[in-house]
Order: sequence, then structure tokens, then C-alpha cells
Amino acid sequence: MPKVDISGLRKYTVLFILLGLMVFFSFTSPYFLTVRNLTNIVIQNTYFIIVAVGLSFVMIGGGIDLSVGYQMSLVGVITAMAMVVYHLPVWLAVLIGLLLGTGLGFINGVIVSSIRIFPLIATLATSAVFQGISYLVSKANTFRAYPEQFLLLTRGKVLGIPFDILLALVVVVLASVVYSETTFGRRLMALGGNEEAARLLGIHTKRMKVAMYTICGFLTALATMVMISKANTTNSSFGPGTEFIALTAAIVGGVSFMGGEGSVPALVAGVFVLAVIGNGMQLAGWGTYAQFIVRGLILLGAVAFDEYQRNLQRNRQKGC
Amino acid sequence: MDSDIVLSLRNLVKRYPGVLALDHVSLDFRAGEVHALLGENGAGKSTLVKVVGGAIEPDSGTIRINGHEFTRMNPHLARSLGIEVIHQEFNLVPPLSVAENIFLGDRIGGQYLVDFKTMKQRVREIFQQLNITIDPDRRVRDLSPAQQRLVEIAKAVSKDVRVLIMDEPTAPLSVAEVEHMFEIVAELRRRGVTVIYISHRLEEVFRIADRVSVMRDGRYVATRATADTNRKELISLMVGRELTETYPPSKATPSHVALEIKNLSGNGVRDISFSVRKGEILGLSGLVGAGRTELAMVIFGAAPAERGEIWVNGQCVTIKSPADAIRHGIGLLPEDRKGQGLFLEMGVKWNVCFPIIRRISPRGLVDTKAEHEIAAKYKERLDIRTPSLDQRVKNLSGGNQQKVILAKALAAESDILIFDEPTKGIDVGTKQEIYKLMRELANNGIAIIMISSDMQELLGMSDRIVVLCEGQFAGEVQREQFSQNYILDLASGTH
Repeated sequence: MPKVDISGLRKYTVLFILLGLMVFFSFTSPYFLTVRNLTNIVIQNTYFIIVAVGLSFVMIGGGIDLSVGYQMSLVGVITAMAMVVYHLPVWLAVLIGLLLGTGLGFINGVIVSSIRIFPLIATLATSAVFQGISYLVSKANTFRAYPEQFLLLTRGKVLGIPFDILLALVVVVLASVVYSETTFGRRLMALGGNEEAARLLGIHTKRMKVAMYTICGFLTALATMVMISKANTTNSSFGPGTEFIALTAAIVGGVSFMGGEGSVPALVAGVFVLAVIGNGMQLAGWGTYAQFIVRGLILLGAVAFDEYQRNLQRNRQKGC
Repeated sequence: MDSDIVLSLRNLVKRYPGVLALDHVSLDFRAGEVHALLGENGAGKSTLVKVVGGAIEPDSGTIRINGHEFTRMNPHLARSLGIEVIHQEFNLVPPLSVAENIFLGDRIGGQYLVDFKTMKQRVREIFQQLNITIDPDRRVRDLSPAQQRLVEIAKAVSKDVRVLIMDEPTAPLSVAEVEHMFEIVAELRRRGVTVIYISHRLEEVFRIADRVSVMRDGRYVATRATADTNRKELISLMVGRELTETYPPSKATPSHVALEIKNLSGNGVRDISFSVRKGEILGLSGLVGAGRTELAMVIFGAAPAERGEIWVNGQCVTIKSPADAIRHGIGLLPEDRKGQGLFLEMGVKWNVCFPIIRRISPRGLVDTKAEHEIAAKYKERLDIRTPSLDQRVKNLSGGNQQKVILAKALAAESDILIFDEPTKGIDVGTKQEIYKLMRELANNGIAIIMISSDMQELLGMSDRIVVLCEGQFAGEVQREQFSQNYILDLASGTH
């Protein structure tokens, strides 16, 4: 018998959590709920949003990419070196960085789809490779003092809005459109939702996998530009760790760890849940290190919640 | 009451949504007998076995064993009472050795360390009694299916078994291997073990069983001594009814050949040739494991073909992937609806329109209006009962899920449709609707291949039947020659 579907409510869970956290931290620190602080939170998290959106492509398609942080490390130092060491024009350096990131994603996609190893392990392995190359190429140097043009990416404003916020917004809107309005989005969800059924309906599952990792690589490279422009410096340790935040944000935002589901606005809310916790804890004076513990617990909690929901559905199906 | 009755089932009832899997079944099993359990698919044999083995709990009824009465079992309790079940699928741990598998879960040796020497010694003893020659040190993953089956039997025997239940144990075995297994079964009987033997192969039943009980539609039908019955009687007991379902007659005159396969091999099937014409329903028959689904997967490009040709509308085509098959107008409605046919988390509309989403989406943007119209059209035409077109398909009943799959296939406008067990697990009313729709499609010039294990359905719906046996072509039967016996004979390789 058809039942009332309440799973739609899940989409809003993360918004409630975000609001609840904001209310909570407004009590622990008077500075939390100021325009200045909230603006800061947004500005500091634009690149996380872009990476998380990239990762969501892979996750909705049923995969995972642990290497995004290390892709950022490699793309970051190469782009910086192109500008600072080789003095290439900014547009060319950025182009090289974006192409490189896209290529790294493509490599991940090819490995995952053709060797058919678990994406978790495959991208863990490429993480190490990317990081090794990053340190070899940079010789562990730090690069700073980028051309003015490159800094405009994060310091320039259009209609009073920082350029990188607009960039993140464009990425978010585009991804939303891809997921909800395009056939590519449909095929991606089909792949993540039921790979065998997708295959039997004529979807080229390998090509789709390569595509989703490639998109993820491109967006990760784009985020790298924002990251190093904002910091005006980079070295090989810039980037690693981002994968954790992006992954947690995606799962908190309801992108299923098992693929097939996800909405971009909720994903953005997921990024801000983590950001607000970090910021709020700092303002409340609870130290930086405690954040790690909280983040870890959040990831566990979010995955457990995802699994719990699945079990609930399974049981409902069986039990009738 | 006979004194030698070991296991006695009384009024067992098990209800699933929409199906009465066991309908007040009562049965007695004697010590030292081989008791065969016969019935069509869905007759309730497996459910009965699961109840006895403790895998599922009955809604009511009692299980009496060795004088103790139980209203439910669990696997551990069943074991401790001497009930062992050998399932159709293998239940061994491949990376472990034969000896370790046999004593899995039993402690041999001290409290912490396994005494491998004693373990192997005991395995050798058991093997000797059963005339099995397998090295106890070998890894199970290196054994042939037949050897694995023997290990499973040895495992059951090592447990002081009183009732051994074997569910289709010979399905993966060759003739010589089957002989060896029969010898072991005979040996067990001599020892006073009760063997409950489930098989589709009637000749096996006559070879080794002392008595045979027949089930049908979840009910107990009759028990016969094998010496006092014959094949014909057993089949009529199994089928029981006359053709109660009505099958819509063909109105089409089958015209030109839509699909022809020539010497097709791969995915476990060898050298198969047949053709199906527009407007015709071709039944594909065979026992479990005969390779029907495997063949469908090869035709559909979902499994690689090793040799042979596929001709569509008079042209030889290359089909390397499902996408190729779909491009040539072939559609597949898979048997495993939830695993292979549907996106359970997605809505009805989403599912129905997914295969044609690119066709109705200019420049890659989904035309939601067209999508809605198409889905609404098929909801109406197939009478899909759902509160809304956005309802997730996991919330629909099995019959309605099958209709969603059918809608998907129809929306794709395929010329050739392969139905794999189209009415499996579907209630009688919806079955009729699906039969009607299938016939309508054929009448409109679609070529249909229907794989079915339901003999009634096969005889009622097909215009022609091709029978497979152990991955090979076993025969083709024209409508005038349709008979259950003949087809069963072909399917079991006795012809």
C-alpha cells in the first residue's frame, strides 16, 4: 500500500541544525551574531563550498574522493610557481592550474572506473601520490606575493559583493540546475542510486564515473585558486584536510554516503554548520584543537544518521 | 502416532503481505527416510524449510521434534536439536580450509588455541565414512562446486545430524557428482538420519526418495510412497488445477523475424539459436540454472558474448552494451525488480521517464512538462496505483512496481521486449493485467521473449516455447505440441 512519504522533511534537518547552532553560539559569545562575524564566516568558507559541491558530484554518483585536499596541494603549488617562479601571465597560470586539477580528477575517474577498486582506497592511494608530487615539485618551499591581478579574485568586488562569494554562488546555482534540470543530473543520480539498473538502462557507467571525478577535479582546482588567492601564499601543506570538511559537510547536508541523493542548498548549509561550529567555539574560547574532536563526532553522527534512515526504510519495506 | 516419527509439523502458517506462504501445513517425517518435497515455484517448500531451520518464525502452528514441541525455532536451537540445512547457495567461508569450515563455530582444542591436528583427524574420519577424498587442508575457494557441496554435507554430518534438509542440492552438479551425492544420502539413511530433499528433478526423486510430499500454493497436497506413484501423478498433484487463469489469445499474425540469434555463446550458455517474430510471444523455459536469464543478459549486451550473431530486423548487429541493445530497439524487464529494474528512492515519474529522458530533453535540459505528461499517460494506461507521480517507487506494491518497469519499457518504444519472470511475486489480479498488457503489445507488433518458471503462465501465454537445459538449447515446442510433461522432460535433460 502506498504510504505518506515523510523523507522529504530530511532536507530541512540541516537548516534546523544550523539555526539551532547559531542560536546556541549567540549565547556563548556576544560577538557571534554580528554582521561582521557572519560575513567573515561566509567569506572564509567560499572555497569549502566549491570543493564540497565538487565532491557532491562524485558522491551523488555513488563514489567518494578522499584526494581533493591533496589535489589542492598540488594545484596550489603549481599555480603559485607558475606566477611567482616562472612569472607566467596570471590567466595562463590559472589556466594551467585548472587544467591540472581537471586532469587529476580525470585520473581518479579512470582508476576508479577501469580498475574497479573501491573509490575509498583508490583515492586514498592517489592522495599520497599527489602529495608526494606536490612536495617534490615545490621542494617544500612556500610561495607568496602573487600578482595583483590574481589577488583580485578574492579582493575584488562586484556590486559590493566579494568576487569569490559570487563565484561560489554561481557554482552552487549551476550545480543545482545540473542536478535538478539536466539529463546528466538524472544519469548521475541513477548511477548512484542503482548502478546495475542504470547499466541495464543503457547508461555508460564508466564514462559517467570518469565525468563525475573530472568535474570534481575541476571544481577543486577552482577552489584552490580562491584558497591561495585569499591567503596570498601557499605551500604543499595548503589543502590537505579540506577533504574532511567537504566530506563532512556533504554528509551533514544530506548527500548520501551511499549515493543517489543530495541537494545543493542543504550541502551549503552543511558547510556552514561546520563553519559556525568552528567559529563559535573559537569565539567562546574553547580552543582550536577541541574543534577536531567535534568535527569527528559530527562526521560519525551524520553517517550514523544516514545509515539509520536507510535501515528505517529497509525495515519499513520488509515489514509492511 | 507412529513411534518412528522424528519431526512433526502441525498447522504451520506463514503470512507475507499479499501471500499466504504457508497455509496450515502439517507433515510428518520418519527416522531414516529420504523424504522428497515437491512443488512449483512459490508452492512454499523453501518457506517450510526456513521455518524448520529457524531462519523465519511461523505465525502459528507447532514444530515437534524428538518429542519436544516448539512454536518457533531459531537457527541455534535447530542446530542443537540436530536439524541441519544445506541451502541452495553455498554457505562456506572461501578463504578458510576445508577442516576449518567444517568445524566453524565449534571449539576444538583448548580455550584459546585451535587444535588443528585433532580437527584434521576428525575431518578425515568423517570423509572416510562418506567416501570423500578431499584434502582437509585445502582452501574452500579452490574447490569445485561439487566438492564444496560435499564439504557442506560433511559439515552437517559432523554435527550429529538427525534431520538433514537439502534444498536443490544437485543444481550445480554434474551427473557423476550427483551419483556420489546419492551414495552419501543413502549412507546417511542407513544411519537413521532423516533427509528432507527438495528438488525440481523428478527422476532424482524416484531414484533416492522413500516418500514424497507435494505442496501447492502454500498448502500441503498429498504424500505418496515413491514406489506407489509415478511421474504423471506427481505432476498433476503439483499443478493441481486446470488452467484457472485466463490468457488473452493472440490476434496478431506473426510477421517477419524481429530478432534472431545464431549460435550465441557466453555467460554460461553455449551455442543457442532461435528467432522471434513480430507479434509473437516466445516462451523461454528451463530449470533454475538452465541459463535463461544469462542468455537474456547476453542478448541485451549486459554480459559479453563469446561467439555467435544477433540479427535484428534482418540485419546482423553488434551488441556490446545495454546501450547498443536499446539503440537496436531491445528492452529488458529484469527479474530482480528492485536490484536491477528500479531506482527505489526516486519517484514514479522519474523512473518511468528515465530511459527516454534524453529524448524529451532538448539541449540536455529536462522538459518537466513532457515528463509529467508521459508519466501520467502510462499511469493511466497501465493503471499504476500511486497517490502521486512523485511517490517514491519503494513505497509501491510489487505489482505496481512491475507496472512502473513496464511503463519504462513502453515509454522507450522498444520493438523487442524481454520479460524475465514478469509475474514473479505478483498477486493474481495484477498478473491478469500484466498478461493482458503483454498480449496487447504483441498484437501491436512487438516481439516478446518471456522467461518464466511458472509452467501455467508459460503454456498459457507463449505462442512457441524454447527450452534450455544446462546452458544449452534443449528443444523448441510449437503451440500444438504444448504439454507440461514434454517441456519438463526437455528441461530436465531426459530427452
